[in-house]
Amino acid sequence: MIGLWFALLAFTLILFVVLDGWNIGAGVLHLFLAGTEDERRRVVAALGPLWSWHEVWLVAAGGVFVLAFPRVMAAGFAGFYLALWLVLWAFILRGIALEVGAHLDDPLWRSAWHTVFACASLLLALLFGVALGNVVRGVPIPASGQFSMALFTTFDVRGDVGLLDWYTLSVGIFATALLAAHGATYLRLRTSGALNLRATTAAHLTWGAVALLFPVVTFETWVVRPELFAGIAARPAAWLALAAVAAGVFMLSSGLRRASESRALAGSSATIAGLLASAAAGIFPDMLHSTLAPHFSLTASAGATTAHGLRVALVWWPAAAALSFVYAAVVARRTHGKV
Amino acid sequence: MTTDPAFWHRLQFAFTVTYHYLFPQLTMGVVGFLVYWTWRGQQPGGEPAAAAARFWTRIFGLTFALGVVTGIPMEFQFGTNWGAFSDYAGGIIGQTLAMEGMFAFLLESAFIGALLLGAERLGPRLHLAAAIGVAAGSWLSGYFIIVTNAFMQRPVGHLVTDGRLAVADIGAYLLNEWAWIEFAHNQAAALVTGSFAVAAVGAFYALRGEHLPQARLYLKHGVLAGLVASVLVAFPTGDAQAKIVARYQEPALAAMEGRFESGPMADITLIGQPNVAERRLDNPIRVPGMLSFLAFGTFHGDVRGLAAFPENEWPDNIELLYYAFHVMAGLGTLFIGVLALAVLLQWRGRLATWRPLLWVLMLAFPFPFIANTAGWMTAELGRQPWLIYGLFKTSDGISHVVSAGNVVFTLIGLCGLYFVLGLLYLFLVGREIAHGPHA
Repeated sequence: MIGLWFALLAFTLILFVVLDGWNIGAGVLHLFLAGTEDERRRVVAALGPLWSWHEVWLVAAGGVFVLAFPRVMAAGFAGFYLALWLVLWAFILRGIALEVGAHLDDPLWRSAWHTVFACASLLLALLFGVALGNVVRGVPIPASGQFSMALFTTFDVRGDVGLLDWYTLSVGIFATALLAAHGATYLRLRTSGALNLRATTAAHLTWGAVALLFPVVTFETWVVRPELFAGIAARPAAWLALAAVAAGVFMLSSGLRRASESRALAGSSATIAGLLASAAAGIFPDMLHSTLAPHFSLTASAGATTAHGLRVALVWWPAAAALSFVYAAVVARRTHGKV
Repeated sequence: MTTDPAFWHRLQFAFTVTYHYLFPQLTMGVVGFLVYWTWRGQQPGGEPAAAAARFWTRIFGLTFALGVVTGIPMEFQFGTNWGAFSDYAGGIIGQTLAMEGMFAFLLESAFIGALLLGAERLGPRLHLAAAIGVAAGSWLSGYFIIVTNAFMQRPVGHLVTDGRLAVADIGAYLLNEWAWIEFAHNQAAALVTGSFAVAAVGAFYALRGEHLPQARLYLKHGVLAGLVASVLVAFPTGDAQAKIVARYQEPALAAMEGRFESGPMADITLIGQPNVAERRLDNPIRVPGMLSFLAFGTFHGDVRGLAAFPENEWPDNIELLYYAFHVMAGLGTLFIGVLALAVLLQWRGRLATWRPLLWVLMLAFPFPFIANTAGWMTAELGRQPWLIYGLFKTSDGISHVVSAGNVVFTLIGLCGLYFVLGLLYLFLVGREIAHGPHA
């Protein structure tokens, strides 16, 4: 039951990263890809009316977290206090930029909000990468189970670590490149004309950067947390995730070469989902690894609520998720297509 | 006081939640008008209603956006600022926090973007479905968060295991008597806010002599819905709310009335200043026996005063609690009076032309926001010193690892950010109102 809820948490987070990831990635590339006001307006329109539905999957993941693993949620959110407030600022600014940016037909107003949208998206991409880096590397959990972490300490990955060090920053940069590539692949599908051509070029460049960075980050991960790979090797779920990565990369490269835009986006989504799922499978059963001493780590079973609570939630949660896909499909059917 | 991190955690949460709730009370209040006008606008001869729906959808969209961006921090603060509370109670309140995300937010967010795209892009049926979806989502969201709050007011359906709370009976938790009453009271109050906003815009146009058919529509629907809602706020919902406070939170009821001594024939205080050090109310004007009647349905009901309880069970800010309750109750009574007069004039066909009342209606729109805020302050201050009534103290609930310095840092930042957001909102809504509805 605990493993199942760990998987559901990972599923919800992955869904958020894949869906909102293309909005974030489009935001990162926004000012580079779109030169004129009309093109910028089209990039924002390409996100479509469902962008906030994508964002809500993060809130849904927060819900699964507090519902199933209250201890881990409490320790993690308090420990990442300032980092989470930075994420919140970025969400607030991005949301406002997308909602009010088009309200005035004024060049200054519009360019200000386009810049806010781009900067907030960049900050989100970087912070999510840093967050993932922190989860993989571990955080300084003492015997009490409650940790408080500085934004930066010595930039080293052992002992009394901070939010930022050479490893978490590397993952942050990798994530930014990955989400930018995902965003370019998405914009390629949703745009036409010159914007489509530029998105295609950007997709090739950013996926190239991802291909270059991936071995570096993988090697760094092996240095920082070698047991992660042992976890992946030992778990069939992780093999499945790696198979998804392989299939994703294949679809992506064929989609990019043959101008099959939807296949490329499916491949990009599968690649990201597979990478995150394999990381999650490798981390399990730890949820927050301690850099001070391994036995201080917060595991899924120690952090979970009662089996009865988990069973109750299993009755309604999948139904709610299925319902929400129905609503989103109804809206998407009417609003898909190129902008 | 100010060196205590708990003070800053409470201040930050109070500030962010008070500010946040300015927006949802308006969206939950206006959304009913929106659904009705959207539906009516699709019927023969419904063009005025369709124009009203288009105009209010623009204001609704802005309000909704502010509600969303200020709402996401509320969810996060359960962990960032109230970690010990989430650790202790997450096993049960996590159910409704997660339900709110899964049932309500995913529903609203799927349809809000579509609703803003408008009928031309969606077609009439999907447009109406989007309006209904957003309405259902926003009210469901209210229910789940009120179940969570009701558990903090009167915990039911839980068990304690390993020093933490977990679900024992999910049905009892979701159907908490307190939740039903609080939800009914709160939603009626949100409808009062929405109705006053609709009527105020109508009054503004009527006074200026522009968009007159639309102005008459807003005035008519605004004051009618507003009168029904403001009566419902007082009776039966407010009355039922007072009775469950009397039953389950006796010290809170005593503090709300500034009552220190015990006994039957308890008075209700219309005005007066609590003097906690001297344990009395200064300059009181009272109605004899009314409190006993309101709390227990009989003038002989024995309402115990604060002196009957140990001081460590007293709410920790009696003065603010007392004023919050009196501001809420006083304004609620005034709303009924103003709206009853307005409905009377509407019935005589003179509402859109009698300028004194139009001025009152135009300038009155901030007061339901104040009354709603004061009502929530009454609920939350009355619950003190408990975070979960009788189970868990507020001072134990904070994230102990987060220093006061960190909280002051984020609070200052939020004050600046929310100030800018408020200016932006007023500017954009003002612009929409100046622009006006176009038939």
